[in-house]
Amino acid sequence: MSSLGKNNIAAWAIIAACGFSLYGCRKPVVASSAETNKAMELAVPAKGKYTGAYIDFGDREDDVSVEAIENFENLVGKHQAIIASSSYWGEQTFPTRNLEMISRHGSIPLVFWSPWDRPYLQNRGPDRFSLLEIIKGTWDSYIDRWADAARAFGRPMIVSFANEMNGDWFPWSGAFYGGNKKVEGQPNDWEGPETFKKAYRHVVDRVRARGASNIQWMFHTNNYAEPNETWNYPPAYYPGSSYVDWLGLSIYGQQVGGDDWTPIEPLITWPYDQMAAVDPAKPIMVAEWGVGEFPRAGDKAAFITEGLELLGAHYPRIKAAVYWHERWQNDDLTYSNLRVNSSVEALQAYRAGVADPEWLSKPIWRPVRK
Amino acid sequence: MPDSSGYASFVFADPSGRRWPRLRRIILLVLAVAFVGGVLFVRTLFVTPQLRLPLTLRHLKGQLKSLQKVNPAPPPAPLQIPLWQKFGEARKASKKITGSAPPAFPRKSAAREVHLAFYRNGDPYSYASLEQHAGQITHVCPEWMAVVNGMGDLQIDADARLPKLAAAHGIALMPLLTNLLGDAWQPEAIENLASAGAPRQSKFFDNVLAALRAAKAAGVVIDWQQVDPAYTDKIADLVSNFADALHKDGRELWICVNPGEALDLADSDKVIEKTDRFVALLYDETSEDETPGPLSSRGWFDGWLDVLLSDADPRQWIIGLGSYGYDWTKGQPVADQISFAEAMSRASFAGAPGFSAGAPDYNPTFSYDDGDDEHTVSFLDATTFLNELRSARQKKVGGIAVFRLGTEDSAIWDAMKLPANTRLNASTQERLGILKGTDTIADIGEGEIVSVDESRSDGLRRISVDGAGNFTAAYLHFPQFPTLYHQGGGKPTQVSITFDDGPDPKWTPQVLDLLKAANIKAAFFLVGVNAERYPDLVRRIVAEGHEIGNHTYYHPNLGACWPEHIRLELNATQLLLETITGRTTTLFRPPYAADTSPSGINELLPLEIAQDLNYLVVLENIDPQDWSRPGIDVIVTRVKQQRRDGNIILLHDGGGDRSETVAALPQILDYLNTRGDTVVPLSTLLGTTRDALMPPSLGGAHTMVRLVSGTGFRLLRNVEELLWAFMIVATALTVIRTLVVVWLATRFRRRVDHFAEPVSVLIAAYNEGKVIAETLRSVLASQYGAEIEVIVIDDGSNDNTAAEVEAITRDDKRVRLLRQKNSGKAVALRRGLGAAQHGIITFLDADTHVQPDTLGFLTQPFADVRVGAVSGHAKVGNLRKFLARCQALEYICGFNLDRRAYTRWDCVTVVPGAIGAARKAAIAEAGWLSLDTLAEDTDLTLSLHRKGHRIEYAPAAIAWTEAPETVRALARQRFRWAYGTLQCLWKHRDLTFNWRYRALGWFSLPSVWFFQIILVAITPFVDFLLIASLPFGIWAAVLPFVIIFLATDLFMALLACLLEGEPLLHAWRILPMRLIYRPLLSYVIWKAAFRAFKGVWVSWVKLERTASVPART
Repeated sequence: MSSLGKNNIAAWAIIAACGFSLYGCRKPVVASSAETNKAMELAVPAKGKYTGAYIDFGDREDDVSVEAIENFENLVGKHQAIIASSSYWGEQTFPTRNLEMISRHGSIPLVFWSPWDRPYLQNRGPDRFSLLEIIKGTWDSYIDRWADAARAFGRPMIVSFANEMNGDWFPWSGAFYGGNKKVEGQPNDWEGPETFKKAYRHVVDRVRARGASNIQWMFHTNNYAEPNETWNYPPAYYPGSSYVDWLGLSIYGQQVGGDDWTPIEPLITWPYDQMAAVDPAKPIMVAEWGVGEFPRAGDKAAFITEGLELLGAHYPRIKAAVYWHERWQNDDLTYSNLRVNSSVEALQAYRAGVADPEWLSKPIWRPVRK
Repeated sequence: MPDSSGYASFVFADPSGRRWPRLRRIILLVLAVAFVGGVLFVRTLFVTPQLRLPLTLRHLKGQLKSLQKVNPAPPPAPLQIPLWQKFGEARKASKKITGSAPPAFPRKSAAREVHLAFYRNGDPYSYASLEQHAGQITHVCPEWMAVVNGMGDLQIDADARLPKLAAAHGIALMPLLTNLLGDAWQPEAIENLASAGAPRQSKFFDNVLAALRAAKAAGVVIDWQQVDPAYTDKIADLVSNFADALHKDGRELWICVNPGEALDLADSDKVIEKTDRFVALLYDETSEDETPGPLSSRGWFDGWLDVLLSDADPRQWIIGLGSYGYDWTKGQPVADQISFAEAMSRASFAGAPGFSAGAPDYNPTFSYDDGDDEHTVSFLDATTFLNELRSARQKKVGGIAVFRLGTEDSAIWDAMKLPANTRLNASTQERLGILKGTDTIADIGEGEIVSVDESRSDGLRRISVDGAGNFTAAYLHFPQFPTLYHQGGGKPTQVSITFDDGPDPKWTPQVLDLLKAANIKAAFFLVGVNAERYPDLVRRIVAEGHEIGNHTYYHPNLGACWPEHIRLELNATQLLLETITGRTTTLFRPPYAADTSPSGINELLPLEIAQDLNYLVVLENIDPQDWSRPGIDVIVTRVKQQRRDGNIILLHDGGGDRSETVAALPQILDYLNTRGDTVVPLSTLLGTTRDALMPPSLGGAHTMVRLVSGTGFRLLRNVEELLWAFMIVATALTVIRTLVVVWLATRFRRRVDHFAEPVSVLIAAYNEGKVIAETLRSVLASQYGAEIEVIVIDDGSNDNTAAEVEAITRDDKRVRLLRQKNSGKAVALRRGLGAAQHGIITFLDADTHVQPDTLGFLTQPFADVRVGAVSGHAKVGNLRKFLARCQALEYICGFNLDRRAYTRWDCVTVVPGAIGAARKAAIAEAGWLSLDTLAEDTDLTLSLHRKGHRIEYAPAAIAWTEAPETVRALARQRFRWAYGTLQCLWKHRDLTFNWRYRALGWFSLPSVWFFQIILVAITPFVDFLLIASLPFGIWAAVLPFVIIFLATDLFMALLACLLEGEPLLHAWRILPMRLIYRPLLSYVIWKAAFRAFKGVWVSWVKLERTASVPART
């Protein structure tokens, strides 16, 4: 009996030791599981929503670093299921290193693949990467190279190609390609949106043809169109179910000093309903959201608190929200501070909001269904 | 009757006389072999191994070349309107300039021009420059604090030496308070603080004030950048409250103003009113993360100066002048900040043809190519300084600030002395034109694998004034500074892991297993001693594809070593590694290189020696200080923090408990993996192969050398291990013995029996004329309950001994005198024994006085019939000399304490001849007094033990003896004792470790063997070896032993004094006593041992009597 007791103690000691040693060399379990099985993709969570962020990755939105990600996670107190960053066509590269970092970190990379050229300034109109050039095939070899690199990367990723095309600031906006002009012979189609769809399909087709099946595609509009006219609404731009895995929305409150403060609810509800109607089968992601800190104009903390509550509970088809954590200086030397920590109160609000277990901190994987 | 045969058969006698010659021959032979072996071994160490290092790795210097780009590419589309004009106009447009007079500068305006100097923490040049130019500096602004967040928390990282240095030179300390954390500004911290309520703000003020008070600072300089101008009003309030808090505490508030940042704060009336000074940082026109451009061009500087000072009181303003440079590497986002010296070094080594700085920028610049990348250097020098200084002084500003100490062109200190409207005369020109090649070390290149160039020379520039009245400089000849060339920068995603101080049998295998599992190749910098001990680990490291490097043999601090020593360390390790692995290694890392870059010229020497021996010096720039065991998480975090700026990680697999390192390694690898880094061997960082860095050795001729060196190393290690083992065992035994003795001594109980039988007192005397009479009188004065008989045996004295005794016998018939021709003390005592009439014999030395009660106490134990002999309590009576006082202490805490203790277990080893007593019957039973040893008392005592008699100690039976007062006399006495003790130990060697004699066999006799013979004999050699090894940095390891030894000594002395009722203060003498006694005792032991081997009889060496024991009654 006593010797049995001793054995038990020894066994416990061994178990405890194993436990410690496992703890000592813990591995990012999620990343390795995605690594080992290539045919996985991001699942649409049955319950809860992914939390994610874009984290001030610099002027080209591609200076990703583990340090920045970890700092942000420490700030908000939660691991990020989604980390967003950009791949600008002007760089002519595929951000393999960024995506690997994000992926190994245990997050899924969301890439804004934006066809524009240096110096990447808004409101300049189409450049050498115009939608027409894309459709013509001018950039096919770049698209192919990009696709090959994506396939080589191999792990699940989400690509938002040419986002916010229903605005008028990016060079790929429908407004720059004939806008509301009717397409000859097709009285229901407008030239701007039709050009966009063609370019979108062209790009997705080519990438798929190269075998980059690890990509989920996102159709990503601004919450409100600019100009706010029917031809410029998301349904007109929608390239079709087979080209889209996620529906994306950008939702921003006040960003610069002179603008008006808007509460968040109307920024979401109408666009959500509209987007939900575009395709009843697809999950919706708030691919970008954020608000500046303007103490005299409005209460950022309240905006965030309300935003996280609404996004978390009130829109069943929204399955993820990616916060745009950035601070930049405007031409008039004022700053737009969208960061979650622009004030102590804002940070507290964000931390408290995402602490809700409804906000999922890790991607859930499922086998690819295609 | 005692047998009275002569001395023919004494212990150690060697009648044939062959023992010594034979022994001598053996000793000589051993010495000869050891000498030849030693010479051969040392010679192998000085044979410099032939390292073959790829030429390209050795001569980075040759790869620098100047680029003939007279004008660097113009900056992209210059702004139509300079920024300062925009600011100026914006300011006019706002309410500011309303024609009203500028608000008066509120504080006392110092008569003296303020000279503020910016100081960088951790930069030794900053410190050196501050020291050197202290006389010209009125205020120093060191990096000190950063606002961490809106809660008012501070991160303080200060140079603790500054308050003292500043105070010593009368410089006001003005610590810098930024919002910079790492390399990121934290505007939110300031914005949040500004919008926070009073409690948070006052907490912040308190935090700052506490730091300032602790530093004895005169005030604080705030430099808050990238703050949203939307918060200006709130920040103005914050600053104003802050100023109030500071002023209340008698401290000043200075505010840095950065051109380009909004100026609203400096425009706020409230702030102007409360701020003591504004410091305009008029440099960094082109910042490090922009494309190359001027750092402070003429137009830009004057433009900003105008804007800032218009509508302001210039006396409130301090103008910051830059004196530093940037080196932009093409394709890299951020430039390196470099010093003026480094700019000169780059120009010099690149062979730049000379250039001048003139219109329109007046900002010197040049380009070069380092073989891989194109570089553009822009810097500020004495001429830019002079131009700006003149502009500033014309505005009658309150002072200037130098950015920064350590990077400046040293000529600016001369320039500063020039009067306001300087004309350029010949002497000024000359003074500013000579470019002194100082000891400042310049760094060139990327990476932490370095080589040194110590050449130094002066350079020359021509300073003139151009048409526009500006100073210009033409660089004709560049000065050379001691230079560190860096290589091994590698690709941004490449990182190397290095392990120092191994191999270690416990940790190295674990590290190797982890590396193997991750398929990673690292570099191990091995310490020679460890490699020699664990050659299999070294082989495993190499076999598993890792690189090995030389980390010296004993891990000394090379900064404190002679060049020969350094070479020896390197060669010894190299030979050893070559012997073990069959490869040489060209990698070397100096021990204690924790703070990456050498900063003093003396630190370069080891590197230079290593370089002369063809090594590549590998430093590190990611140093989580795992050796200090800060915690696993801390190690990992530190690696994360430093990874952005470094690519060689330093960890340790030896030299202590490395469990944290082993635990942190997988996390570090995980992190690097996540980061997208590739862990590569050093050879990859250098763009070469492992074989190039670790070429297989040539073999052949080297075999013999390696055999000799291998054997040498093994022997050395064995000797060292033996020493350590001895130290540890000796220390342990000493402590154990001390505890036992102390325990026993405190348990000693005195007998109080009644005993009064007649006593015969025997005194052997040889030339004791001076003292014998006094001794006899003391004995005769005894108050003893029975008859006393005193027998003096005059052993053939040739002085008046006999006469003195006879004079007494006339008065007192109890005294008898026997005379014999000189035949030794033992013979004399035997004769006395024969003549003694009583059953109890007391032995007394002729120089030893007794007290009236001594005989009574001494004989008391005989009441117990088992007791065969009793030891008296000898004390030193002559306390005139320090040497004698030391012996007094020795008697107290050595002999008497021991006897007290031994009595308890009946194992007293000697009843001293000076004062002792024995039953005559017992003496007869023990075979009378034998003549074959010099220590007849010890011999008799041991013989009595054999016969089963108890031996006791009577501490109350005090006798005052005379101790030698000269070292010489002491040495003679102790030699006699040592020889006698050796003889007795040898004669009675069967008693030692003999169960029949219990405590005597297992405790007191082994004690004598070990503590009085072996330890005493060896200690000086151990001392010598330890002192000799101090340069190798092991003193820290030895210290505890030394302390334990001394503490034990002191403890025993204190206790003995306590037991004997001596003043406790006397106990301290035990410490200096050690110094005198250890070598002396060792000497006599060795002498006695040699005599023993030789088999020579030692005559009764006579103590010189001085009759210095005062008579006691």
